[in-house]
Amino acid sequence: MSRYIATRAIRGANALVSEAEAMLEQALGERGPETPVAFPNTAYYLPVIFGMMGKEIGQLGELPGILAHARSLLHPTPSEEHWTPYLGETLDSGMATLIAAEVIEAIRYVYGLQPESMPGFKLAGGTAFTSPDSDGGDGGPDGHLNGAIDDIQLRSWGIQLVDGRMPGFAAIVGCARSNEAAVQIVRQLQQRNILCFLSGNVNGRSIIDQLAEEGVELGYDTYTVPFGRDTISAIYALGFATRSALTFGGLKGGQAREILTYNKDRVFAFVLALGEVDDLKYSAAAGAINFGFPVIADTVIPQILPTGVTTYEHVVSMPWNEIEGADDSEKAKRLVQKCIEVRGVKIRMADVPVPVPYGSAFEGEVVRKADMRAEFGGRGSRCFEHLKMAKLDDVTDGKIEVVGPDLSTVEDQGSMDMGIVVEVAGRKMEQDFEPVLERQIHYFVNGASGIQHIGQRDITWIRISKKAADVGFSLEDFGKILHARFHSDFGAIVDKVQVTIFTDPALVEGRLAEARRAYDFRNRRLADLTDDAVDEFYSCTLCQSFAPNHVCIVSPERLGLCGAYNWLDCKASFSINPTGPNQPIRLGRKLDAVSGYWEGTKDYARIGSHGVVEEVAMYSIMQNPMTACGCFECIVMVIPEANGVMVVSREDTSMTPAGMTFSTLAGMAGGGIQTPGVMGVGKYYLISPKFISADGGFKRVVWMSSVLKEAMARELEVVAERAGDAELIERIADERSVTSVDELLPWLEAHAHPALAMDPIF
Amino acid sequence: MPVEIPKDSWPGAVNTVTLGATGDQGGSRTSTVTIGGERSLPFMHFESPMPHRPAIAMEIAPARPADWSAVLLEAWGATADDPGSWARACEEAGADLILLQFGLKGSGDEPVSADFAVAAVKAVLGSTGLPLVVVGPGQAEVDNSILVPIADATKGERLVLGLCEEGNYRTLVAAAMANDHLVLGKTPMDVNLAKQLNILMSDMGLGRDRVVMDPTTAALGYGIEYGYSVMERLRLAALQGDGMTQFPILVTPGAEAWKAKESKVGEGTPAEWGEWRQRGMNWEALTAVSLVEAGAHVVVLRHPESLRRVRAAIDELMASETA
Amino acid sequence: MALAGIQIYKLLPQTNCKECGFPTCLAFAMKLAAKQVELDACPYVTEDSKKQLAESAMPPIRLVTLKGKAGEARAGNEVVLFRHEKKFFNRPGIFIRVADTAADEEIAVTVGAASSYAVDYVGMKLGLDGFAVEAASGDKARLAAVVGAVRAATGLPLILVGRDPEVLAAGLEKLPGEAPLLMGADGSNWEAVADLALKHGAALGLSGASLEELAEMAVKAQEKGVEDLVLHPAAEGLGASLALNTQIRRLALKNFRPLGYPTISFTSGGGPAGRDAVAAAQAVCKYAGFVVLDRFAPELVYPLLVLRENIYTDPQKPIQVQPAIYEINNPGPAAPVLVTTNFSITYFSVANEVEGAGLPAWLVVTDAEGMSVLTAWAAGKFDAASIAKAVKGFGVAAKVDQKLIVIPGHTAVLSGELEEELPDWTIRVGPREAVDLPRYMKEVLV
Repeated sequence: MSRYIATRAIRGANALVSEAEAMLEQALGERGPETPVAFPNTAYYLPVIFGMMGKEIGQLGELPGILAHARSLLHPTPSEEHWTPYLGETLDSGMATLIAAEVIEAIRYVYGLQPESMPGFKLAGGTAFTSPDSDGGDGGPDGHLNGAIDDIQLRSWGIQLVDGRMPGFAAIVGCARSNEAAVQIVRQLQQRNILCFLSGNVNGRSIIDQLAEEGVELGYDTYTVPFGRDTISAIYALGFATRSALTFGGLKGGQAREILTYNKDRVFAFVLALGEVDDLKYSAAAGAINFGFPVIADTVIPQILPTGVTTYEHVVSMPWNEIEGADDSEKAKRLVQKCIEVRGVKIRMADVPVPVPYGSAFEGEVVRKADMRAEFGGRGSRCFEHLKMAKLDDVTDGKIEVVGPDLSTVEDQGSMDMGIVVEVAGRKMEQDFEPVLERQIHYFVNGASGIQHIGQRDITWIRISKKAADVGFSLEDFGKILHARFHSDFGAIVDKVQVTIFTDPALVEGRLAEARRAYDFRNRRLADLTDDAVDEFYSCTLCQSFAPNHVCIVSPERLGLCGAYNWLDCKASFSINPTGPNQPIRLGRKLDAVSGYWEGTKDYARIGSHGVVEEVAMYSIMQNPMTACGCFECIVMVIPEANGVMVVSREDTSMTPAGMTFSTLAGMAGGGIQTPGVMGVGKYYLISPKFISADGGFKRVVWMSSVLKEAMARELEVVAERAGDAELIERIADERSVTSVDELLPWLEAHAHPALAMDPIF
Repeated sequence: MPVEIPKDSWPGAVNTVTLGATGDQGGSRTSTVTIGGERSLPFMHFESPMPHRPAIAMEIAPARPADWSAVLLEAWGATADDPGSWARACEEAGADLILLQFGLKGSGDEPVSADFAVAAVKAVLGSTGLPLVVVGPGQAEVDNSILVPIADATKGERLVLGLCEEGNYRTLVAAAMANDHLVLGKTPMDVNLAKQLNILMSDMGLGRDRVVMDPTTAALGYGIEYGYSVMERLRLAALQGDGMTQFPILVTPGAEAWKAKESKVGEGTPAEWGEWRQRGMNWEALTAVSLVEAGAHVVVLRHPESLRRVRAAIDELMASETA
Repeated sequence: MALAGIQIYKLLPQTNCKECGFPTCLAFAMKLAAKQVELDACPYVTEDSKKQLAESAMPPIRLVTLKGKAGEARAGNEVVLFRHEKKFFNRPGIFIRVADTAADEEIAVTVGAASSYAVDYVGMKLGLDGFAVEAASGDKARLAAVVGAVRAATGLPLILVGRDPEVLAAGLEKLPGEAPLLMGADGSNWEAVADLALKHGAALGLSGASLEELAEMAVKAQEKGVEDLVLHPAAEGLGASLALNTQIRRLALKNFRPLGYPTISFTSGGGPAGRDAVAAAQAVCKYAGFVVLDRFAPELVYPLLVLRENIYTDPQKPIQVQPAIYEINNPGPAAPVLVTTNFSITYFSVANEVEGAGLPAWLVVTDAEGMSVLTAWAAGKFDAASIAKAVKGFGVAAKVDQKLIVIPGHTAVLSGELEEELPDWTIRVGPREAVDLPRYMKEVLV
């Protein structure tokens, strides 16, 4: 905590509490202790005081005790000599400021000074109020600002905040650098459906004045509420936040800690301080930080970056002069973008803005040569896609650039080089998610009608149909698709997406080399990613609808038996959907390195199987093998006569040495029942060093469907090499030579299969 | 020969939930319905007595439904023309509570509006003292557009608002929290999906005593076994102590059974199906009773005679074992 | 703890002789571990192994088979309390009660109608399993005559109900070579009825109001040499009946041998309308091995047969509907052709939505081994080739004017290949979910 901020905030709080005390004393004298105090149309009394202290204030006479409490929260300003931690003191001062501010506004309502009058101003919808001193006395919308928000509006907006239609609110305090900047800031926030609360001034001039001069309509109807032209009226924002927690969090008055936590976790609000920050603003900001609302200032102030009370940074300074941008309008855009990042407000993209119909229904479309406008990749040109993670500051969200010639330069049915480079940034993004996200490009691009996408990485092949080109589909639209879909589908881990489409052959060359380096790096990373290198595996309960007690544990060296989920996929899935089917399994102590037992996997086996399966060995088929649902790619089954196992692919319909075909075997392997000797697995598990390693590993394979041998020929070569027997695969029988156990043994002997000489499998 | 009867002792229990609120409790109902609280499998009184009996809700619509079987419309007669009189008829027929199901249409061919919906709910609340479940047409936007105003207009009644699905649960949960109502979550026949929605709803801070779940069922002959097993599994998981499966279950055998051709249609059906009315009633009652035995806490029915049959079955099931 | 298949394998001859009906000793061992076969099926197992396998050798609930002149009814061999844990194996036989006090003509009508009853359910023929002839008259000759008449009308298995061993014996005389069930033994007369059962090779039903009573009789009957027992927990009311049946199933699964037999449930025809249907439904869901109805009526029998089919479906192998072209709302040549898989729920969702909306359509159901659309597509069981095969095989082209096919939205990816497989058809991609079909058909297809 910055001593500077602490000093100013504590000083501001002291001043405001004193001011409130003076006002209260005067009011008690003039109006008497029984004078009712209330904000208009609310059942929550003075909401911050009610929420934080549990006091149901109804009369002036009850306020002295409240201010006494506020005073008790005050601390002396930090001394010049001694360095003590000030966070607690500063937050306390902030709270005292909020209480004092609310008392002051309550007294102002008594005197008819709230809502603040502003002759000539018309509210575009607002709180109805009646004041004995107001001219009309009819609570009409003219001639005054809004003051506190009423309960009806609280409910309406509150529901939108809770259900996510409204991502959050901004409490804007002060005065923007120019009218142009003021308008742009509010427009940017409105576009994102973020509610704006306006208050405060700098040297007597408020953002409310600026917007009013520019003819911007202010009021409920436009989601911009002018509270008042002084800083004190910013208290209504926190009253709103407090009431949200009481209404939608099921909380009661006095549950201060819960109300503050609720706001930090669920109300995505922030304070935007425009212009010079005085003591009172510092102390009010300290109050907001109590709610977990960070403060962003457009002036030079000390920053408080370490996180703790707020989700990310506490106080961020973004001096106006240093913001990039040609004019105030551009600068305003950047400033708002920063606010959103700091609070972690998630933006939703509803539609994919491309000229062709878009939806999963178009995923399978084929664009034939005759219907094609142009193609990228395939025989005539190079095409690749590369998604990389970047720092938040290095990515401009929504920026899409085509570098090189456009589609119009390609002759009809011609082809062109293209590289799609996607840069994503996000606070929860990890480099490991790059391949998981990159694979999505295929599905995202295919969703556009008239576009065909095949392959991935540097074997990408894209076709644009004539029809799509005719209605205006351009290369830039690839970027728009990716930007929209990454936000909508992966918003949990992606905050910013920038896409660059390279078509200049020289640049494609360079970027392709870079992409290939990344692919290589990922391949090596996958190879390094061993079970011993991590401290978490993942559960997968996707198949429990078929096999309720089935336990699926996915580790780096053992992918899901369906073949569709590896460890990284599960990890990403968990980040995206923390309540979803993939949950981390903390491994804890390793109990048996050979068979693969950990404390964590043991506990999970019991929980995940609802008590039916006691233990699961990660590396054995003979003792406590992992169960299977029914969607396995292969079945492994022990052939006792051959002292080994066979592997049948689900694509293989022929007879196996076990005397049963895949579909008969499936009944035995599936159902979530632990059957030693039989196991359903994903085919890539076969080539893992951990493949039934407790039982002797891959050398136990005596028979294998030929379709597997062919589909994984290259990978199996590696396995053979690792086993120190280059001929190993040729020693394994398949359905072309052997379909019964009687034929199997002589065949294995003739081919000198190593399993025959191994220890008995059981 | 002495036989030791195996009794399961479970660590978990189903949540107890009270539907509806009386005048003293901030609502206007003359009776409330409390469900859940079990510490054993359905009707295993010898292990642990069931604290509350399963309840029967009768389904009504805000206007005479066009797509209901003639058998049903005939049974309710003119009362079905108006939700208030229909609800009263249900109360007189012995329902424990009412379920008001909105469709996409309001009066005539107009799309359903907030005013129309609020008026229908008020009519039902005005004409019967039973607790009420209100269910939207199932399209998130329309649901929100009518259920939020309904929630506002009936603050304190402890209505059950549905359906919360993964796409729109936030709005309904927020509306329920702000107005002292309950919510009904619906997921497609899968234990883990049900759990996931329950986690999401609970994460919003809604109390455990304010959620009822519909894990989805199908009628006899149309996949009842899926819903049946999902319910048995949810109950087992609840008893084993999995907090996110402990919400009481509401299912809709009436709507499902009367959608089936076997009940709905009387002409052009095979002779082997037998007499239409009795068949329809059997279809509904058998679906409902099977689901009650699988662990349903509220079954929503459509025909008054099925109500009588299912109630009789529940009476027998609740009677102590030595009766 | 039960032995695993590979442990059992060690105790078997390991000759792969196949005489047990399984291809290898290991396969047999695994079935044995799953308690789905009896060790007796292996002719060469040693006495020593038999002893070691004692626990694995016998299913916890004895399989009892009633044999008629034609047809059998099997009960028992169940291994779980809940169908989702594995599956329920032997569908409870549904029998119709015929009292010998009824008039000959009435008996003839009931038996005639019930024995020939057959109803189609998703391509399967469902029917009843037999008759329970009750010696209500107490007259030997009358019972014999009625049994004879029933036997003349049908070959289905029979249950003889009566307390007097002599009367029952008269009925048995009419059923040579069969294995009927004798029902009516209780604490007072069980011994005489047991003798009768032994003599005729019949199964013996034991009635008792408590588990103690039933277990005691069962043990004595076992000692006497009767192997095929059926328990009748005589309870008043659905609640008591549910409790007793549940307790018997639980005890049996815990290998409490005295109660390791199937149960029988009688539904009384008295009481308010519909009461018998509800009671029978409970018996079907909750563990009965045989259910006896007091009357025959299609509107009662049809839903019960369907319920039984549903509950006894293998949860891991969902019900399949017959691959075929189904007509919905009498489609004409202008109606669209929709395609889906033969997973029953998939079929029902699609058929119900379209039928409910009153839209005529041709629904082509492909053979996807009973998988849902997405699962089948992922497993390669629902692809362009299999759709094309179905469309050609069912002669769809001859039924329509416009060659338009709608495939499920989830499998949009198939549209290209399907165009190649069916070059003269227009391929359209429908919605992902069945519930959106009516709107799609009304708004997009027109």
